[in-house]
Amino acid sequence: MNLLWQGIVNGVLLGGLYALMALGLALVWGVLNIVNLAHGALIMLGGYVCYYLFTGAHIDPFVALPITAAVLFVVGYAIQRRLLNLVIRAPMFNTLLITFGLDVVLTYAAQIAFSADFRTVNPSYAGANFSLLGATVPVVRLLAFVIALALTFGLWLFLTRTPLGRAIRATSQNLVAARLYGVEPRRIYALTFGIGAALAGAAGALYGVVSQLNPYIGTSLTAKSFVIAIIGGLSNPLGVIVGGLVLGLVESMTSLYIGATYTNVASFGILVLVLIVRPTGLLGRTA
Amino acid sequence: MHRIAFKVALAPLAIAACAALAAAGPAAAATITLGASVQMTGSLANTGRYYKDGYEFAVDRINKAGGVKVGSAHEQLALKILDNQSDDNLAVRQYTQLVSTDKIGLLLGPFASGTVIATSSVAEKYEVPMVQGGGASDQIFSRGYKYVFGTLPVASKYFESTIAAGAKLNPPVKTVALLYADDAFDVSVAKGTRTWLEKAGMKLVLDERYSTNASDFSSLLSRIKSDHPDAVLVAGHETEVLNFIRQSKSLDVSPKLYSFTVGVPSADFRKALGKDGDYAFGMTSWLPSASMKDRWFGNGEEFEKAWKAQFGFEPDYHAASAVADVEAFVMAIEAAGSTDPKKVRDALSKVDFESLYGRIQFDSVGQISLPQTVVQVQNGNVVPVYGDKGFINKAMYPMPDWSKR
Repeated sequence: MNLLWQGIVNGVLLGGLYALMALGLALVWGVLNIVNLAHGALIMLGGYVCYYLFTGAHIDPFVALPITAAVLFVVGYAIQRRLLNLVIRAPMFNTLLITFGLDVVLTYAAQIAFSADFRTVNPSYAGANFSLLGATVPVVRLLAFVIALALTFGLWLFLTRTPLGRAIRATSQNLVAARLYGVEPRRIYALTFGIGAALAGAAGALYGVVSQLNPYIGTSLTAKSFVIAIIGGLSNPLGVIVGGLVLGLVESMTSLYIGATYTNVASFGILVLVLIVRPTGLLGRTA
Repeated sequence: MHRIAFKVALAPLAIAACAALAAAGPAAAATITLGASVQMTGSLANTGRYYKDGYEFAVDRINKAGGVKVGSAHEQLALKILDNQSDDNLAVRQYTQLVSTDKIGLLLGPFASGTVIATSSVAEKYEVPMVQGGGASDQIFSRGYKYVFGTLPVASKYFESTIAAGAKLNPPVKTVALLYADDAFDVSVAKGTRTWLEKAGMKLVLDERYSTNASDFSSLLSRIKSDHPDAVLVAGHETEVLNFIRQSKSLDVSPKLYSFTVGVPSADFRKALGKDGDYAFGMTSWLPSASMKDRWFGNGEEFEKAWKAQFGFEPDYHAASAVADVEAFVMAIEAAGSTDPKKVRDALSKVDFESLYGRIQFDSVGQISLPQTVVQVQNGNVVPVYGDKGFINKAMYPMPDWSKR
């Protein structure tokens, strides 16, 4: 088996999952200018929704995925409508504080509701794999990768081709002009945050299938999503895929050739490098 | 006028209240308070909660049996447990508060080596004894501290019994991959493991440190697959071990044996893995046994039953270790005939008694010596496989390919 080839496969598949995690964060950040520190907590909630649909109602996790996304959409819409719209015009520091608070509340609410027990979404095919040119390809990760690509492309189509998507982009580009054209920003904001939360929910469902859930996974997932969003840039969902792939490959190669303990050094190193060389992200608009 | 009348009316009431309080004071039995700061919430809550449960369970039982005999008086135990939210800095502040503000002179420990290393310095500085059952790193006991006592066996010996068992299995383990997280406990484990491997004449083909909280092991697993060692030893945390096992399945990596420092003895860990948890080896410093006599719980097996009746799941060594900590304090206080921190400390260094957790006796650095029994998950249950007297039950070895399970 060629280790390099296997490493590339691992990195690309990991990158797909990473991209899906970061997609919602990048969307909300780009449109609402809110760095949602509770994004990881929403991924965690999505994981639990999928877990209970799977263990309680015996719904296959990939069937439960859209249901999870829908539930999280409602949660996200409500959070924006009732909470974040109050501070949307406030300086960024306030939105950071309020989403940080939200993260703490969601995390501890999850501990009370679900306990600190470890959970996994473990369908019979969770460990299935096949061989591709000598590399082992885990089926679930491949599916996650395909879903990530599909959702990213879907989001891109939605933002560029539909009236609602255009309204969202218009709101982020020029609020005054958008209002003159009849866009109601509060609704657009809530919709955008809802979509961001729905994407987090989908990522959480997949995360539960490939990894494990507990109430505290959110913080590290937020950090990872943050790095990917910066590497990829906020203006284009396709950038997030690039960001995810870059991070996945960098981590995989670091772990393979330098040492597993240095993966965080490498990924945050890349972040610093991108900020120096291309502050708008790899696919971002140049100023 | 009104105000004065009010005060006058109140005065006798206040006096009566004071008198009542004064009368109540000596009438109620005196209490001995043990202080602790544990991880009830935050990333270590999964295991941290066993310590809170264990301390409370032990105190409850000891009080029901009459409490602690100090000299000729019987005193009740009380607990003051704070939640450090899995934050070591907060834990240090809370222990300082327990000692300096609450004037508590007897401390029980938190969970995890890193937290114990940080907080035991508070105990040493204020010269109050801390008995802890949550930290095993050699670093805790290598600083010449006089006030820290530990009921977990030393970290460097965690894999000793596993390696001894591996040498006697058929076919014997010859090559080994060692993975460990980059924190105090796991680095200590790895350091010790290298010596045991060398003594056993096994070859270390992969020796890799990874970052704590790592969630992706695909690269490490690919390297293991290409080096195909007989055994993989992982010193890490439960979340990492869960990911490791799930990802070995999805990448089709099956060494003859894999063993983990944590996870295997915990009921919720096995539940999270389901059938995929089978074949995983681990170790435990404690298995419930009727031969372990205990003054309060009868014996280890009866303790297990009582715990299960109360909490609904089987206790693991963390819980038993926490209970043993409280018992060690009681034995020491009774031997010292005092709750003076220094006298209790001296008595702790001399305690020697049988408990549900095993024989409690601290060596010169304050650590207990217990053999690690090798355990394996077999059909969802933890089965003891190898102890200090040799094989106990048949190991399921070698581990078959994932496709054949």
